[in-house]
Amino acid sequence: MIARAGTRRRAYVRAHPIASLVAGRTGQGIITLLLVSLVVFAATQLLPGNAARAILGFSATPQRIHALELELGLYRGWWSQYWGWLSGLPVGRLGTSLANSEPVWRLVEPRLLNSAVLVVVSGLTGCVLGIALGAVAALRHGSLLDNSMTVGALAVLAVPEFVVAIGVVILFSTVVFHLFPGVSLLTPGENILQAPRLLVLPALSLVIVTIPYVYRMTRAATLEALESPYVEMARLKGVPRWRVLVQHALPNALPPTIQVVGLTFLRLAGGIVLVEEVFDFPGIGQGLVNAVTDRDIPVIQFIVIALAAFYVVVNITTDVLALLCSPRRRIPA
Amino acid sequence: MTEREFELSRRDLLRYAAQGAAFLGAGGLVATGSRRTTRSSAAAAMSPRIKRGGTLQAGLSGGSSSDTLDPQNWVNLVDGARVYSLFNPLVDFDLGAHPVLSLADELEASRDAMKWTIRVKPDVEFHNGKTLSADDVLFSFQRIVNPKSPALGAISLKALDIAHAKKLDKYTIQIPCFTPFSPLADILASYDFFVVPVGFDLKKPIGTGPFKYESFTAGQQSTFVKNENYWESGLPYIDKLVISDFPDEVSQVNGLNGGTLDVIDLLSADSIAPVRSGGNNVIITKGGGYTPFTMRVDQPPFDDVRVRQAFRLICDRDAMLRTVFSGYGKIGNDVFGLWDAVYDTKLPQRVQDIEQAKSLLAKAGHSHLAVTLVTSAIGSGTVQVAQVLKQQAAAAGVTVNLKEVTSSEFFGPNYLSWTFAQDYWNYYPYFSNVLQGTLAGAPFNECHTNNAAYKSLYKQAVATLDGHKRAEIAHEMQQMEYSGTASGYIIPYFNPVIDGYGSRVHGVVSSKTGLPLGAYGFKSMWLA
Repeated sequence: MIARAGTRRRAYVRAHPIASLVAGRTGQGIITLLLVSLVVFAATQLLPGNAARAILGFSATPQRIHALELELGLYRGWWSQYWGWLSGLPVGRLGTSLANSEPVWRLVEPRLLNSAVLVVVSGLTGCVLGIALGAVAALRHGSLLDNSMTVGALAVLAVPEFVVAIGVVILFSTVVFHLFPGVSLLTPGENILQAPRLLVLPALSLVIVTIPYVYRMTRAATLEALESPYVEMARLKGVPRWRVLVQHALPNALPPTIQVVGLTFLRLAGGIVLVEEVFDFPGIGQGLVNAVTDRDIPVIQFIVIALAAFYVVVNITTDVLALLCSPRRRIPA
Repeated sequence: MTEREFELSRRDLLRYAAQGAAFLGAGGLVATGSRRTTRSSAAAAMSPRIKRGGTLQAGLSGGSSSDTLDPQNWVNLVDGARVYSLFNPLVDFDLGAHPVLSLADELEASRDAMKWTIRVKPDVEFHNGKTLSADDVLFSFQRIVNPKSPALGAISLKALDIAHAKKLDKYTIQIPCFTPFSPLADILASYDFFVVPVGFDLKKPIGTGPFKYESFTAGQQSTFVKNENYWESGLPYIDKLVISDFPDEVSQVNGLNGGTLDVIDLLSADSIAPVRSGGNNVIITKGGGYTPFTMRVDQPPFDDVRVRQAFRLICDRDAMLRTVFSGYGKIGNDVFGLWDAVYDTKLPQRVQDIEQAKSLLAKAGHSHLAVTLVTSAIGSGTVQVAQVLKQQAAAAGVTVNLKEVTSSEFFGPNYLSWTFAQDYWNYYPYFSNVLQGTLAGAPFNECHTNNAAYKSLYKQAVATLDGHKRAEIAHEMQQMEYSGTASGYIIPYFNPVIDGYGSRVHGVVSSKTGLPLGAYGFKSMWLA
């Protein structure tokens, strides 16, 4: 025992595995973000047309386009535009939108909030339901319930998000029932929390596409745990079924499930674009589509960086959580 | 379209027309020549069954973060909806797409068409309570032609010497012309000539329109409230107008059928059935806008008029319209200005004639012609109709290679230089369209037509105030377009406009200009 405590102290000096993981991943994350910003910037330069042309429309004369190009600073070299943007980022100077000269933050902030609420609400609901259903299916392995849920999950997985969204609208808004609005028209300045009714159908669509992933992963992980020798041992000892599941099987099925939850949130962050389109939901996806149409580089850059940062943070968080759930790996050797 | 969905609007129209006549009879308008009543003073006398109040939710197609409320520089059609709600032009189009006086009370040219006198209505108030005066009209013209940042309409006004325009009295201005210019009413009605007050500030947009500015977020939504002192008495009926941008047609239809939206616009023929089955109404307009094929007359093979004629004969226009718009819309005859009184309806309708096309091509030495058509989703149905043309051309032994580009590339540096491409045109009265499109030196002369005889006819036409003579000259010019000598256009059809509105919405009409929802006539809509 004494010897072991000694090893432990030395390990702390070397840095706790979790701390070193977080530090390492953060470093990698920052490099990733830089690369992403560079790639996106390069991509915006390759898009045909520029902001001046997009703003003035096709009926503009060359003189007007030239004047606006000067005004927007588009004549500067791309590296100068990029550096201007990058150097402002750490101090929170995000620049102004080319499309309507508003500060980028003022344009993006409400959309960011709306999308965050949508992702969190649908992600959490989807994960809770997915985990519960997955565990139940694993317990009833081979039963009619298990089989039908598994087939159902496969079927839903095969359908793209926006098709699910349209189905939800047909069912709950336009054709069958008229329960909730099929478009999420928010008054500018109002956020989605102030109008929760508008959140229902977009969130429901995303929940429906989220559940199958979480369900399948939880079911597989739980099945694996249930078939392991220690569960067999516990069963032979006479531990009741539910205790076997909750105390023995689920904790071991947790790390892969956490990974899947993390992945789910990442998928949602990308999947909201089409769902937002269907519901005309004033979120970040719609903001990005608008910004690309307008060649509004500062807005594109910020939204993409915000999304990339979300990816990095979720990845680090899931790794840390997964580590915390596996005692063997979180204690230094 | 079926009888049902036009029943209501036809009835409304008849009623408005009757009321408008009564209004005219009471001496409400002083108009020059045969100008008709404005489309909305028609609704001035109120029918007792019209209900006032309420908020109208409009979900309109298009828009982006660069949306603007600048009435003289608006770009997309959602901008148009907002601009038509907040502002008025001096001259507007009536529902039949004929220019009628709006803020102007009088628009009169000197005998030699070298001087125009414009008098505005005396009792019009801006949203801030200021009375509309000659100063505002002068300011509006100056803002359009401002050499530092000329507005969209500046090109069309280049015959006018705005710098030497002067105020005659409180309501009247006089503008001299550089060269005789008679079709001013046509120009002023053409979408870009709204009146703003002296010192106009885009951040607080003040106009004379039926609705007052309350809030606006580009790319998303605007809220306007009723202008209690609107000059067309009795209008508008609704208290509040909310216009939201919709990038996607499916969500527009969902919003209407789900009850969130009251009116939606610019639908494809595919949406007609879902809107109807949702218990809502569809209104289909034969608009005057068109999406022509453009052949450059200064480049081979289209520099040979026989090739241009052959391509026009290759088109089965009925089949094109059926494929693209399920047959709604109107067949074209390669001449624009469809609703203008000077449009020559006597020109024989051109129909497909493959044999004739083949023989013309053979005579031109192009029996096995291959051309590249640059197409892009720049207007509804442009890419589909290009595909149809490709198939129809094959029958005449012509290979049409399609090069599909993004709309940004289409309108990029090569715009107006493509050898064989397409374009989108709103409805313009005939001479207004000539001035912008087919005249040598016109800003959108995409076919590079440069016909001296045609230009000299145009000059004669705009120099005369005699409507009869002008029509004669116009017919002569249209003959040259029809034969292909002064035109590189194929106009297979004029696009229909398909809008939808909820069952509780009344007073939705259609405008032959092709601007949706009766040229955004929210002022005459009411909610049951």
